[in-house]
Amino acid sequence: MGSAADVYVLIIHYYGNVGDVMKKIVLFVLGPDGPGIIASISKVLVEQKCNLEDVSQTILQQQFISIFIVSMEDSTDENELLSALRSKLEPFGLVAHLKSMQAQGHSQQQACESFVVTTVGPDRPGLIAGMTGVIARYGVNIINLKAVSRSERRPPDYVTIYEVDIPPSSDFKSFRAALQAKAQELGLDVNLQHREIFERIYQV
Amino acid sequence: MLTEREIIATLDMLRNENLDVRTVTLGVSLFDCADRDAGRFIENTRNKITRLAGSLVDVCDEVGLKYGIPVVNKRISISPVAAVAAGLSAEQMVLVAAALDDIAARLRIDFIGGFGALVEKGFTKGDRALIEAIPDALSKTGRVCSSINVASTNAGINMDAVALMGQTIRQTAEMTADRDGIGCAKLVVFANIPQDVPFMAGAYLGIGEPEAAINVGVSGPGVVKMAIDRARKADPSLDLGRLSEIIKRTAFKVTRVGELIGRKVADRLGVPFGIVDLSLAPTPNVGDSVGEIFESLGLKSIGCPGSTAALAMLNDAVKKGGIFASSHVGGLSGAFIPVSEDLNIAEAARRGRLTIEKLEALTSVCSVGLDMVAIPGDTSAETIAGIIADEMAIGVINNKATAARLIPVPGKKAGERASFGGLLGEATIINITDDGGSAGFITLGGRIPAPVHSFKN
Repeated sequence: MGSAADVYVLIIHYYGNVGDVMKKIVLFVLGPDGPGIIASISKVLVEQKCNLEDVSQTILQQQFISIFIVSMEDSTDENELLSALRSKLEPFGLVAHLKSMQAQGHSQQQACESFVVTTVGPDRPGLIAGMTGVIARYGVNIINLKAVSRSERRPPDYVTIYEVDIPPSSDFKSFRAALQAKAQELGLDVNLQHREIFERIYQV
Repeated sequence: MLTEREIIATLDMLRNENLDVRTVTLGVSLFDCADRDAGRFIENTRNKITRLAGSLVDVCDEVGLKYGIPVVNKRISISPVAAVAAGLSAEQMVLVAAALDDIAARLRIDFIGGFGALVEKGFTKGDRALIEAIPDALSKTGRVCSSINVASTNAGINMDAVALMGQTIRQTAEMTADRDGIGCAKLVVFANIPQDVPFMAGAYLGIGEPEAAINVGVSGPGVVKMAIDRARKADPSLDLGRLSEIIKRTAFKVTRVGELIGRKVADRLGVPFGIVDLSLAPTPNVGDSVGEIFESLGLKSIGCPGSTAALAMLNDAVKKGGIFASSHVGGLSGAFIPVSEDLNIAEAARRGRLTIEKLEALTSVCSVGLDMVAIPGDTSAETIAGIIADEMAIGVINNKATAARLIPVPGKKAGERASFGGLLGEATIINITDDGGSAGFITLGGRIPAPVHSFKN
């Protein structure tokens, strides 16, 4: 799977601090978790004269997943970088992808308010598809999504947590009602709460 | 970045542990409404309260919805009516109470507090008129609450006022005899009453307070109980020092919720935020009881020996957590032990584990005193005054707020049930030894002098 991975080459060009033309790539690595993965990746990046700008890493059921935003000189060969990464990572069953970084993602034209949507209830097919369908219909952007099983409960509850940005143009009451209707259809309890309540309770 | 553990713990507090904001109380000063003409005073009062509180209920509901925290009660506290309507007669005071009741109903306000007087050092003409009006006013209204401060650490105890309140409580009970004396559930006698209490029946806006202010009362006994239960289950070796730390941390969270909601409501209404009252306020529902916390702390029931120590620890831990959580703490700020309003405490009283004497001992370390205690309907005014005097002495000597909200239930004796409905709950009438033994002391009258402020033993 790793060797057949798609490789997207970066399009963004800009000027770095030293006046050289720079470009950015997005690097994905995924596979079985184990010690030393990040160390291996960052060593290759240094050797290829790349600069690591942002990293996000998580582990889901022992599967390691990480995303790196990497800047490098315009002249750097992405294929060479990808080959170097794969030769290091494939022996551990890890897959690496490079992707061009789009200039902009979802643009925040309006000052949004941050809310948290949570659902609690039995797991079932279409749960996340149903809820995210409502969220998308109201132009609400999901900035973080987690789903966890509460195994101490019998039967176990499945909790989904969507951190969302609601634009001021969205009808809050109607959005809440739509979420509740969908949750009822899916046999879930749903809560929609401003993010600040969680911050105030837990952050000193 | 929020963690899923924080989000799930908050959900649990809301869904299973009865976390809410017990009351958002808008204080409204009525000093600029004063007028010797009762009609004009009422008109001025109506205009001012309607202007400031017209959107209180809607704003509380909207803010509650936005943050996912229900605001259970929306209330108004006003300047002491005996002061702002000092020129009115007792009959006119009853008209004022009726108007306040009507204003509250129109604005969908649960209770309006401040039909009261501060008489710790003596009576004005307005004070006497107001106290005379209380039985009639509280029997004719549903939402008006009355508090009379009869004692303070700096002034001592006005024993004439204590005797008068014994009689007033009896009369109020008689005038609401068809409803188990419910008028007395809206009447409280205080020592050292704070100026910013958001809870009823003691809420009023003190004379040192601003034009208007939002004061908030949190809830949280269910949250505290569950936090103790979870911690003890996870680590059965936890001692009281560690458990008090858990109570403290929980009080911090509960207070943060109250302060956030209060500040948002205050911003929306354009009035200053006043205080958070840290009191753990129970309701007559399972899982929302202060009494259950005693059982979580290893006591068989509230009332067992050890209860006063447990309550002292609980009260102190709640204050420590709450004071760190909020920039402005006020009101009563402790734990309430209202007998009829707390299912578990009512049950302890029914089973005889909790006597009036033990309740009195508990009030020396908690925040509000003998609260919602149903007593036999034939208890004499002098004995009621004696119980009040004892409670006032605890507050005056210990430099703390204490109060007595006693309900003589007409036609009923100790062991019978009294029912007040809704959040006021129901209770078994507690036994009172009434052999006329207090009358000789109470009828002496006068003022018990302020206590010495050193040599604290």
